[in-house]
Amino acid sequence: MTWDTQTLIHVAAYAGGGIAMGLGAMGAAIGEGYTAAQANLAVSRNPKISGDLFKNMLVGQAVAESASIFALVIAILLLFMDSGASGLIKASALLGAGICMGCGAIGSGVGSGFPGGQACLGIARQPAVTTRITTNMLIGSAVCQTPAIFSMVVALMLIFMDFSHNAFYPGWAALIGAGLSTGLAAIGSGYGGGMAAGACCEGIARQPDSVGNATTTMLVGQAVSQTPAIFGLLVSFILMFKTFPESPALSASMALLGAGISMGFGGIGPGIGNGMAAEGAVRWVSRRLDHAGELMRIMLVGQAVSQSTAIYAMVISLVLIFVV
Amino acid sequence: MGELGKIHQLIISVAGYKITLNLEVIVMTWIVMAILLLFGYLATRKQGRVPRPLQVIGELFVVQFYGLTEDALDKKMAEKYGPLICALFLFMLLSNWLGIIPHLEEPTKDLNTPLSLGIMGFVIAHYAGIKSKGFKAYAKEYFQPMFFMMPLNVIGELAKIVSISFRLFGNIMGGSIIILVVSHLTYSIILPPLLNAFFGLFVGTIQAFVFTMLTVVYISVQVK
Repeated sequence: MTWDTQTLIHVAAYAGGGIAMGLGAMGAAIGEGYTAAQANLAVSRNPKISGDLFKNMLVGQAVAESASIFALVIAILLLFMDSGASGLIKASALLGAGICMGCGAIGSGVGSGFPGGQACLGIARQPAVTTRITTNMLIGSAVCQTPAIFSMVVALMLIFMDFSHNAFYPGWAALIGAGLSTGLAAIGSGYGGGMAAGACCEGIARQPDSVGNATTTMLVGQAVSQTPAIFGLLVSFILMFKTFPESPALSASMALLGAGISMGFGGIGPGIGNGMAAEGAVRWVSRRLDHAGELMRIMLVGQAVSQSTAIYAMVISLVLIFVV
Repeated sequence: MGELGKIHQLIISVAGYKITLNLEVIVMTWIVMAILLLFGYLATRKQGRVPRPLQVIGELFVVQFYGLTEDALDKKMAEKYGPLICALFLFMLLSNWLGIIPHLEEPTKDLNTPLSLGIMGFVIAHYAGIKSKGFKAYAKEYFQPMFFMMPLNVIGELAKIVSISFRLFGNIMGGSIIILVVSHLTYSIILPPLLNAFFGLFVGTIQAFVFTMLTVVYISVQVK
């Protein structure tokens, strides 16, 4: 059996499509399950408004689904787009796109289930402010999708950009590394952002007056917990746009692959940790409105410390790209 | 699809150095500034006890952002930094919204704009910190908790610029790439307006707000 370039590109596209949808299906399903579980709890606490709760659950789940839909779009593109490229390097770009989107959809999917679930509980507790809680849930879970959107952007760039002028060695490793970097780093950020959004819905239900402060703290907290995903995006961009000199040595390729892996895995923990910090701050902002400014400042300092591990990962990635 | 990741540039070489101007970004930034100046002029032209619609918008906006700045800093500092915060937010908001108009592009889509705004915020925050605490107390913070943590603390501070500017850049540029690709794939039927509403209006507003709030909070972290 001969492996010509076109066959290899198709192989990579199909494998990438499978990875994108397979991994991408995981997160959203877990998040939606969480929403449904909390909705059941909410209905049993306040059965009179079960209709409202049911509606809210469905809306929350629909938003949580979007990460999976991004993965579906990328998978369909990978299966049916005829890229028309001739270089073998396209094969690794397509595989990288699949990995990127698949991993990237996990965190946002799980994360955006939290605001949905907490919103159901909140409405059961405080039916008078249903609109405020639903609005907040929608904003929170939409911002949660940002890491998945970053992954989708990198995946789309990998699919549509023309890499044929790059050398195959070590270009293949750079493109797969680009996919790994954003995809993996997005897991923690998506999850963490969801925790903050969930706490915000709960806080508003406890203290409806706190909506302004709680939303501000939530947005800042979510934005900071997205920082690891942003570092991942930065490393991906460098890997995609820098032209590397051709070198048949395996070490050059492995350095670029390692850069992606380092940033990707290094971003997972800080993302979740930052989310926890944001969750704590947002939850208590609504109970201690008079100390909102102080809570936000402490949250930010704590997040900066927890983020330092992501910065170490980024430093190692940049060293691997530019020095080694 | 060939336009993905391409920029129109004007390269001038002066005495051996190349000066690169991104033409579209410059023009779009000027458009944003012109709209803002016009808005400022119209809103403050005939101020009265019974305000006109534009004055109401302006007042609501200024009161809101002064309040936010006051929450994070104190009253005296808020008077000093409030105008900056308002201007920063308005500029970014309009920049992010500009892309929904056909043939116009968001200036924030080019990394140079967010990066320069991020560096500006960084410099202002550190200036405020040095001014309120004195240089000695300011420098001492870099050697916390142990003296050998200094390089890492410095990298951590610099990473703030990267994260704040790439957050805006990634969101806006990502949105415009998704709009471009999806519109191309669906032959621009039904979806583009919805995508523009989400990525242009919604994400644009949120990101402008987040950038502004982070700048305020960075200042307050340095000051306190």
